[in-house]
Amino acid sequence: MRRVAVGLFWLFLLSACGGGGGGGGQAGGTPQKGGTATIALESELRTLDPLDSSLLVEREVFYNMYDSLFTIDPSLKIKAGLVKSWDISDPQNYKFTLQDGVKFHDGTPFNGASVKANIERFKTAANSRRKSDLASVKSVEVTDDTHVIFHLAKPDATLLATLVDRAGMMLSMDAVAKGGQNFSLAPTGAGSGPFEFVEWKRNDHLTLKKNPSYWKSGVPYLDGVTYRAIPDVNAILSALKTGDIDIARVIGSKDVASIKADSNFVYRDTPAIGFNGFELNTGAPPFNDAAKRKAVATAVDRYAILKNIQFNIGVVGYGPIPPSSWAFDASEKIYDHADAAKAKSIATGFSFTYKTTSDPVAQQLAQLLQSELAAAGITMKIQSEEFATLVQECEAHQFEACGVNWSGRIDPDGNTYAWWHTGGSFNDSQYSNSQVDAWLEDARVNSDQAKRRQDYQNAQKQIVADAPYVFTFFGVSPQISNTKIHAFTLYPDLMIRMAEVWKG
Amino acid sequence: MTTYVLRRLMLMLPVAFLVTIGVFMLIHLSPGDPALILLGEDRTPQAIAQIHEQLGLDKPLYVQYFIWLGRIAHGDWGRSVTTHEPVAQAITERLPATLELGIVALVWSLLVAIPLGTIAAVRRGSLTDQVATGITVAGVSIPNFFIVIVLIFVLSVTLRLFPFGGYVPLTTDPWESLRHVLLPAIALGTAGAAINMRFTRSSMIEVLNHDYIRTARAKGASWRRVVFVHALKNALIPVVTIVGLQIGGIIEGAVVTETVFTWPGVGRLAVESIFNRDYTVIQGIVLLAAFSYMVANLLVDLVYGWLDPRISYA
Repeated sequence: MRRVAVGLFWLFLLSACGGGGGGGGQAGGTPQKGGTATIALESELRTLDPLDSSLLVEREVFYNMYDSLFTIDPSLKIKAGLVKSWDISDPQNYKFTLQDGVKFHDGTPFNGASVKANIERFKTAANSRRKSDLASVKSVEVTDDTHVIFHLAKPDATLLATLVDRAGMMLSMDAVAKGGQNFSLAPTGAGSGPFEFVEWKRNDHLTLKKNPSYWKSGVPYLDGVTYRAIPDVNAILSALKTGDIDIARVIGSKDVASIKADSNFVYRDTPAIGFNGFELNTGAPPFNDAAKRKAVATAVDRYAILKNIQFNIGVVGYGPIPPSSWAFDASEKIYDHADAAKAKSIATGFSFTYKTTSDPVAQQLAQLLQSELAAAGITMKIQSEEFATLVQECEAHQFEACGVNWSGRIDPDGNTYAWWHTGGSFNDSQYSNSQVDAWLEDARVNSDQAKRRQDYQNAQKQIVADAPYVFTFFGVSPQISNTKIHAFTLYPDLMIRMAEVWKG
Repeated sequence: MTTYVLRRLMLMLPVAFLVTIGVFMLIHLSPGDPALILLGEDRTPQAIAQIHEQLGLDKPLYVQYFIWLGRIAHGDWGRSVTTHEPVAQAITERLPATLELGIVALVWSLLVAIPLGTIAAVRRGSLTDQVATGITVAGVSIPNFFIVIVLIFVLSVTLRLFPFGGYVPLTTDPWESLRHVLLPAIALGTAGAAINMRFTRSSMIEVLNHDYIRTARAKGASWRRVVFVHALKNALIPVVTIVGLQIGGIIEGAVVTETVFTWPGVGRLAVESIFNRDYTVIQGIVLLAAFSYMVANLLVDLVYGWLDPRISYA
């Protein structure tokens, strides 16, 4: 079974995301050419090769360096990328027409053979993390330089969304060969995107320069982009204030109000595609008892969490599919307001341990949950762990409740299948429901979006009712910059796309 | 002398061996799986198993240890689990930044400590002494991270005197390099300055009570000459010991400072590698840190001989 890669996102990062206002670009006069922008990344990258990438911050850089076969617009609609037009009427043979005249940064041409070589590399390389993304692709047939056919082993309604991300990023095979073992550290000339790789000094900076012969005319405006990894939200804010960086994607929620009030900065956000909450282990006591899971889900005050932990940035969440998605179900709120009396009538007088990271925001959330559950006669013990330990124990089902959030994926499949399909790779809760499995499977192969929406909404209703995960809130995709940065467009997928941004 | 140095160097090997065993055990017995960290959002059971096999994590722990030790003996420090960068390269690339920060911090601490400590000892009990002692107590008691926050807020964010974080190599632009290094160096060196001042003061007080000081004064030597020429050199022996340890500790001492100031040094690499369970890099850094301690200790012992000719290693 193929699956769209699901976004595991560091708890403290998402819980630090702010939000509230509307999305969209910032106008501001005629675009000016020139200048460079410095962007803060919340953690250091590990690789510059989409093949073995697994971090959100890596994708953030990739989108400015590499082009994908498909792109999205701010409403998450699939748009043309390196694929100019497509015919998917035959569900097992997708026909793609490619952009003509595109060249990689090393001067080699992008064509049908490049698509075939890239997909084969992703599917076969020993260290590839893209194998599950492309599991439904049997082979790629090159008809001519600008036409390819993706032959699928079975219908896959999520494939185009998958090809927006790393599995669809096209690299110059010459550059890959030249880079050899160090390619992932210095992919010189490999992309075809608006900016070219210059150098990466790990723990210090990563520099990209303008691609002067970018195939989309007129862009980029900036001469270059520099990334700096600053692994602390308070330090990111300091760097913004000192002018050492121009753009940040994450600051602490507590600081959003003061930044909004500061005329030197511009804060924008748009609903994100991930979800927040905590897992309950259905495979072991006490939460192998569905009543106890429901009692917890009923006793949690989502509005209090949003207000006190998130400073009202984002919206209350009820299920895995966020408001930014076409499959969102606004009617899904069976655990809307906290109801301690109702929770008590379902189950009470039990205790459990909640595992979370030692990040201050995660700790505050845990304490708030503890007091909310106490009102329903449920005792919650807090166990703080370092992130790597937490992930390992939750993956091994060694938990009763575990606080992990998710960055989300463009297609709803990425927010559901791996999590709640029986045996799914993120199904830490060991949840299993044959009806949910059937809905999720059907949504994968069905190309009718209305039918898919129904599948996801049915599955979501059941998952929320069974409560293997207690959803609390949906975050936002924010962006904070100084007033020199213009024409920034916000996307729900948290990525900062720099091609059309200018400085003046 | 040469025999002594050689003997000391030989003795380092068993110590280093024990350190490697300790480190290896500690890292591998602590929970956390590098495969899960590496895969992050893309984990599947097959991918996890594949990474375990690639990294040799499916083998018994003692086998993993001897494989690693065998490679180290051949000068191969391995490659980073997360980035595939050669470990030796990852460390040597960051060493200049760490050394620059450590040396400037040390110079700052000595520039503050020795004059202040000497004055405090000479004017023992005076207001100057009390103020200096107060500064010392504050310097030792205030946690490093708090000093860092105050320095950033006042000197960088509010007054804009120094840039926030970042590193410019000395060879690229010496002036910019100095501007970038000063704030983290002050943050890092302040605790050391306080400790060094305490040592200088107490050692100086002791030396000033010795007979030869009285003799020097009786001969008619000026007070300034007695303090700075006769007393200071002898008073520095305990200070040298502690400074030696501080030099040895440069590599791991800067962990907090490097992280907060986004300084691309070995300390930050260590923190990142620990979070990522990058076993090969952590082992490399700890080994280097252990060696730097041992070498610093040896150098301290040799400096004793220069400061006090009665100490002989013949």
